[in-house]
Amino acid sequence: MSGAIAITGLGAVSAVGQDVPALAAAVREGRCGIAPLTLFRYHGRSSLAAEVRGALAAPVALPAASARRLSRPDRFAVAAASEACRDAGLDPALRRAAALTLGATTGGMFESEEEYRRRHAGEAQRFRLSRLLGTSLTTAASVVAQTLGIHGPQATVSTACSSSALAIALAADAIRRGRARVALAVGTDGLCRLTYAGFDALQALDPEPCRPFDVARRGLSLGEGAGALVLEDAAHARARGAKPRALLVGHASGTDAHHVTAPHPEGAGARAAFRGALAAASLPAEAIDYVNAHGSGTRQNDAVEVAVLRAVLGSRLARVPISSTKSQIGHTLGAAGALEAVATVLALEGSILPPTLGLREPDPGFGELDLVPTAGRRLPIAVAASSSYGFGGHNVTLILARGDGR
Amino acid sequence: MTEVAVTGVGVVSALGHGKAVFWAGLVDGVSGLRPIRRFPVPSGAPILGGEVPPIAVTDVVRSAIGRRIDWVSLLALTACRLALEDAGLDPARLDPARTGLGLGSAWGNLQETTVFLDRLLARGAGNPLLFPNLVFNAPLSYASIELGITGPTAMLAAQEVSGEAAIAWGADVIGDGAADVCLAGGAEELGPVAHQVLRETRQMTSGVPRPLDPTADGVCPGEGAAVLVLEPLARARARGARVYARLVPSPGGSVPAPVHGWPRDPEALAELLRPLVGDAELLVAAASGNPALDRVEAAALAVALGGRRTLVTSVRGAIGDFGAAGALAAAAAALAVDAGLVPPTLGLLPPARADLHVVVGSARRTPVRVAVVDGLARGGLCCPLRLEAA
Repeated sequence: MSGAIAITGLGAVSAVGQDVPALAAAVREGRCGIAPLTLFRYHGRSSLAAEVRGALAAPVALPAASARRLSRPDRFAVAAASEACRDAGLDPALRRAAALTLGATTGGMFESEEEYRRRHAGEAQRFRLSRLLGTSLTTAASVVAQTLGIHGPQATVSTACSSSALAIALAADAIRRGRARVALAVGTDGLCRLTYAGFDALQALDPEPCRPFDVARRGLSLGEGAGALVLEDAAHARARGAKPRALLVGHASGTDAHHVTAPHPEGAGARAAFRGALAAASLPAEAIDYVNAHGSGTRQNDAVEVAVLRAVLGSRLARVPISSTKSQIGHTLGAAGALEAVATVLALEGSILPPTLGLREPDPGFGELDLVPTAGRRLPIAVAASSSYGFGGHNVTLILARGDGR
Repeated sequence: MTEVAVTGVGVVSALGHGKAVFWAGLVDGVSGLRPIRRFPVPSGAPILGGEVPPIAVTDVVRSAIGRRIDWVSLLALTACRLALEDAGLDPARLDPARTGLGLGSAWGNLQETTVFLDRLLARGAGNPLLFPNLVFNAPLSYASIELGITGPTAMLAAQEVSGEAAIAWGADVIGDGAADVCLAGGAEELGPVAHQVLRETRQMTSGVPRPLDPTADGVCPGEGAAVLVLEPLARARARGARVYARLVPSPGGSVPAPVHGWPRDPEALAELLRPLVGDAELLVAAASGNPALDRVEAAALAVALGGRRTLVTSVRGAIGDFGAAGALAAAAAALAVDAGLVPPTLGLLPPARADLHVVVGSARRTPVRVAVVDGLARGGLCCPLRLEAA
């Protein structure tokens, strides 16, 4: 769909800090949030993760009993959503009518696993499976809605690692269809044994901090956190005097229909998503100034992504800086699309392109690419793309532009 | 906005495989609830469940990848194939990029998740062959691969309205002109873990479920899948397709409620529903026999309907309660509009809560120009669907 949507508020919780200024500082300083895993014990190929550190506040608007039961990703979601609503200056009336979309993949899985583990270890006589009620993917959206009083249309989507990019797309669609003037899009996920052991079993985890696009890359580093963006009808934002931090000018999705975990060898769905997003934005490939890549750091994914960028950007590719935010905050799965959209908005605002940490020697197969290596780069940009690819071949590309329209 | 037609209905439920057996069962007041056979139920626990009869993987799956398919994904894929067949569409002849797919599930593949965790905790390693099935969107991946769908896709989770949410998403895809055909619906499984959750949280009835009955004391667990084929109305007419109903996009929302519970104030729900139900001749309720849900739903409907004699029915008495049951409710609503026939609510002994005009006993023959599925879920979610005669 076409037509610009204003982004008037941002929120972020990640391994580099529990708000947007912390993320912006980490980008400036080239700080890495990937460190030894402490949340649970696991002996495998990797023992690293990008964990959210420090105490997690429970939302004050909930009854104490409900607040205590909240999972980590529910708390991340509320923190990021609250920050985004504050940033956008949304009063209770604006929040009440706002739409809410949320992307996630495992909900409160970690907390359920803890119950499960206690039973296996004989620490608990009785396994309270009722705890599973908290693992529902929908809980995070319910908590955000009930805590912040957001009562417009609500949707929770899960397309693996593109979940919250899709949530952003659905939020924009809700505005364009006139269902809401303001929409909050959130992505949230927490580390858990299931995904950690699952990715490890697929040999997809790098024993060292992930090195997207590097010749020695061996996989991804898992992370956790939440990203939140307030999207708004541009005229509505103008009328209430809210300054757009960026514009969402186009988005599209594309499906591989190829394999349950591996991407299509030529990235068919990812190409369709990128081309569709450019078409929706009525922009040629030459307009792209920067790409915040999916860049997971697995051998296969990075190679396919580069093939997609070659096909879509053509001769422009050599002049487009590319980086992967996953090198700083890990692969946050359901939160990745939202957190990386926040990082891309910060790049548009601050004219500092995020680094790709760990990138020491680019893969010779990617020779012509302008990869932003271990230090960020100061460069004013007008239009940027952020792509997210999910297991099962569900791909989304967002095209973002400067909020001042320059 | 492109008008959206429902041109195909695919259902697998406790009543059997296919739309025909589902609809005949509902209309004839047949219960699909039987003693659970797939897993042992502890003695003293309620034994009834709405299990889908076995499906042969080889009847549904064509690709090599699909041989490892899990039960939830198999339910969803079966419903997709049945829906396409019902719509007279050959999957091989669909334009892949102009075909969409939206599926909903509240819990996904809970059963294999615990199998994976059991091995992980016992041996310290995960099973790489099982992990892909545990990704929440596995049903979407399997179905898009099997059917070759490369257009807009989404997996949605919305507690008890997971089916309605996916169908609403599909209506928007067609409404926007983003696809020529969109499959949309939901799937849910019944397994020992889900059964244990319901037992421990004392949500099950010891007898039969009685939706909207003031004496209702709990739900009966079920499973199943329903998928609708959605197309632009003009395209459906041009190809001479049977149009069951038009699906009119309806904005939902949420009302104040406990995060894990049902809303307590019916007024806010009534306010959300009032603009949708004013001219409805049929209201397909979410009622399951869960007293907290049925109480607030009946009270909200009484306010929203404002004394009109709108007929009310619920399918959960016949097929059981599960996250995607709303997709089957939507299928029933489309079939009711098409047939001019309203199936009875199984289990209810009149009078119903709030003096609602609930159809009981035998099916009621009457024109249904507008049917609304009210789509209520825990956490205060409301995702209504409105179906109108074509």
